[in-house]
Order: sequence, then structure tokens, then C-alpha cells
Amino acid sequence: MARILVADDSETILLLMRTRLELAGHEVVTAADGQEVMDALHNGGKPDLLLLDAMMPRKSGIDALRELRAEGFETPVLIVSAHQDEEDAEAPSGVEVSGYVAKPIDFDRLFETIAELTGRS
Amino acid sequence: MGQAYSRRGRRLSSSLANRLTIGFAIAFALLTALAVIGVARFIQQRQDFEHDIARSYQVEMTAQVRLAQGQRPAASRATIASQRERRQTLRDEIDADTRDTALLVAAGLIAGLTGAVLLFSGLIASMRRPLEELVDAARALAEGDLDARVKVGGLSETATLGAAFNEMAAELQREAGRRDQLDRMKDEFVLTASHELRSPLTSVQGFAELLMLERERLGPKQAETVEIILDNTRHLVRLLNDLLDLARSNAGRLAIRPEPTEIGPLIEDAVRTMRAQTEVTDQSLQVVVANGLPRVDVEPDRIRQVLVNLLTNAHEYCPPGASIRAEARRKGDEVEITVTDDGPGIPPEQIEHIFDRFTRGDAGLTQRVGGTGLGLAIAKSLVELHGGTIGVESTLGEGATFRVRLPATSADGTKTSAMPTFSSRRRGE
Repeated sequence: MARILVADDSETILLLMRTRLELAGHEVVTAADGQEVMDALHNGGKPDLLLLDAMMPRKSGIDALRELRAEGFETPVLIVSAHQDEEDAEAPSGVEVSGYVAKPIDFDRLFETIAELTGRS
Repeated sequence: MGQAYSRRGRRLSSSLANRLTIGFAIAFALLTALAVIGVARFIQQRQDFEHDIARSYQVEMTAQVRLAQGQRPAASRATIASQRERRQTLRDEIDADTRDTALLVAAGLIAGLTGAVLLFSGLIASMRRPLEELVDAARALAEGDLDARVKVGGLSETATLGAAFNEMAAELQREAGRRDQLDRMKDEFVLTASHELRSPLTSVQGFAELLMLERERLGPKQAETVEIILDNTRHLVRLLNDLLDLARSNAGRLAIRPEPTEIGPLIEDAVRTMRAQTEVTDQSLQVVVANGLPRVDVEPDRIRQVLVNLLTNAHEYCPPGASIRAEARRKGDEVEITVTDDGPGIPPEQIEHIFDRFTRGDAGLTQRVGGTGLGLAIAKSLVELHGGTIGVESTLGEGATFRVRLPATSADGTKTSAMPTFSSRRRGE
């Protein structure tokens, strides 16, 4: 079981992610934008993995990630993007990410990636 | 710049035309005067001559009458002889005068003609160069060089023609620019739309999958319904991916990274991907790769995609039991890959649109064919991105052959020194 923070501006996507991830036995914390991600990380416990939507209002996943990395935050991060492949994704320059997840999400592959990154299935 | 030039050209040319007109007028006046003088002189000489001859006969007759009457016979005889002599002299004189006049007129005519020839050849010469330039520019324009313009001076007519040509070319260029912009907007729209559609699609697919996870708690009808939702969602995803590929390729967003690649393994690979599907329909899938094929500079994944699209097309349009063959051979400096089937073939009226988006074969087959209608359009776009060509030939009832040609890597097989990562160009450029 891994502790995963999921950020997306769509409640439906958050519900879907929470349901699938919890069904797979993970613990899920959700955030609606980059600012909520920052708040959650500053106030709550440390997750094992971040699943950030690339485009969110207020503060995008990329912007939040940039600030977090500047603060020395080293948790693995997967960027969820509506783009088909990373060539098109809003590739964050100079910010370390662990990978990309394309929409629509292939959950079986996502679970494998999570297992690889966190060492927990 | 073209405008400024054409205005200057027009001014220059009208002064030239004026000079030519004046030249013509002077030459014409001179010729006319020369002709009038010549003819008047001729008439005057003739009248004088006839008058003198008549006078001479009159004098001779008078002498003849005197001689007949026996008056001063010696003097009369002398008069008669002298008058005959005088008439001979007059005739010689008129002949000489006529010759002179004829010479004068002939000289005038020759001078006039020479002048006219010189003027005309000048006129023709001054038209030829601008006309040749216009012809060259028109050909260049027809071949798609929308920057083609002429610098036409010369006569006002050719200058006006040149200016009109330049205006037309500029209008064509503006039109092409507008069309390109529309194309770009369309591609951008497709990129944005397919992007925006992905989030709701993620929800639909995700929740349908969630339902399928609890399949045992669904009734058989419900399970089937969810299956249908999932099938269609997957089709929608394929459609979006294909549309995105095509729009990116056309919008110049698709960069390919070519590397020297063996074509044989690439074909084997594509065929392997297709095997599962062709075995279901009992279609045979054969590969023939010539020995010693040169390598091609391609991005393997993209060309594999082209081959899979062509094989998928053959698989979907051929009936069960058909045979499909992929072949590769050398053609000069190119490697030719063909995908041949013995299926129903393509009707002639469809063949010219076969690489257009959403063009599908016979409507009756469309129900069965599961493709997105974009596979061949993508194949064409990708092949052209690699500097290759794609074509098709088909005889109705006997099958179809799709032919892809890709430029071979330079002779030594090493990567061409500064092989750039070329990105797609817009069609028509």
C-alpha cells in the first residue's frame, strides 16, 4: 500500500482516481489545484507519490512541482497529461519528474508504475 | 518594391512608346512627301514631253505641207529632219527622266521600308524580353512558386501586362496565405479539441472499467451494455489519437528523428503485430524481403506505424481467407515497400481520394471495417515527412497494391553527416 496525493481540477477524475487507487489498496489524498497540493504537503503527512495534472487553474501541477523541488521535496512525481505522449506534454524544463501518464488512463500500467516507484503494490 | 518598380517601369515605357509613335509619324510623313513629289514630277515631265512631241509633229507637218507644195524644199527637208531628231532627243530625255523618277521613288520606298523594318524589329525586340520573362514567371507560378514576380519595363503594354501579372501573383499568394492560416487554425482546433475531449473520455472509460471490475454483480444484459460502452470508448480514443497524429503532422508539430534503419526487421515487426488479427480471419500474411537491401534514414517507430496502417487496411478490406503480402526491394536510390492483397480492390472513383481523411471503401464494408478512416492519411503524411512517396494501384476484383518508396541511406551506410531532425512541412509548400 502506498500513500498517494492526487491533484486534478476535475472532481469526476478525482473520484475515479480515488476509487481505482483505493480498490488497488492505496491510500489517497486529493487536491483540486497546485495550491492545495502545497497546503496538503505542508500540513499533512508525506505521501509516497504525487500524481499531478499538468493543467490546473490557480496553480498548475508543474508550477507547484517547481516550488516543491526548490524546497527540497524529493518524492517521485507522475505528471498526468491529456497529451498522447510526452513529446507534446507540457514538459517541465529543469524539473525532475518520474514519468508521464496519458489520458485516458491505462490503470493497469499506472499500478505497475506505482509499484516500481514506491516499491509497494 | 514590386509596386514601386512597376510604376517606374510604366513611366519609362510610355516615353519609349511616345518616341516610337513620333518616329513612325515622321517616317510616314517623309515617305508620303517623297511619293507625292515623285508622282507630281513624273506627271509634269510627261505633260511637258507630250506637249513638246505634239509641237514637234505640228512643225514637221507644216514643213511636209510646204514640201508637197514645192515651197522652199531644202529648208522644209531640213526642218523635217531636225524635228525627227528633236523628237528622238525628247524621247531619250523622257526615258532618262522616268528612270530618275523611278529611282527616286524606289530609293524612297527602300529607305521607308528599311526604317519600318528597323522600327518594327526594335518594337519586337523590346517586347520579346519582357514577354519571355512573363512566360518564365507564369510557368514558375504554375509550378507553385508563389514568389514569382516579373520586372517588366519596355512598352507600356508589356509593362501593364507585367504589373497585372504581379498583381495576380500577389493575390494568389495572399489567397494561399489565407488558406494556410485556415489550415493551421483547423489543425490547432483539432489539437485543442482532441485534448479537451480526453478528460471526459478518461471519466467514461474509467468508470466503465470500474463497472467491469464488478462484473459478477451485474446482470448479463448490463455487462454487455458496459462492454459496448468500453468498445466505443476505445474506438473514440483511437480516433482521437489518429486525429491528433494527423493534425500534429500537418501542423508541423511532428518531428522525426531519422536513423539508418534495416527495413526487413521493421516489416517483420509490423507483420508480427498483425498476426493475431489476420489469424482470426484466416488471412495469410507473407513477407518477402530482397537480399542486400540498403538501409533507409527513417524513424523506425513511424515507419512501423505506416506499415501497420497499410497491413490493417488490407486486413480490414479483404474477406476471410485472403492473402496479404509485404515485400521490399531496391529501386535505384530508393527502397520500395509494397503491401499487396487479393481482396476486392478499390473502385477507380475512390482511388484518387484514398489518402484523404475519413475516406472509406464501399459503404457496405464500412459497418464491418473497424478503422478510423485515418490510417492511410496518416501513412501518407508520415511517408512524406521522411521524404518518401506513397501510391496505390488496384484492379477491381483483383486486389490492391500500396507502394511506399523511401530514400536509401548514402552509399557507405553511415548516417549522412549532418542529417537534421527534419520536422514536417505544411502540404503545398
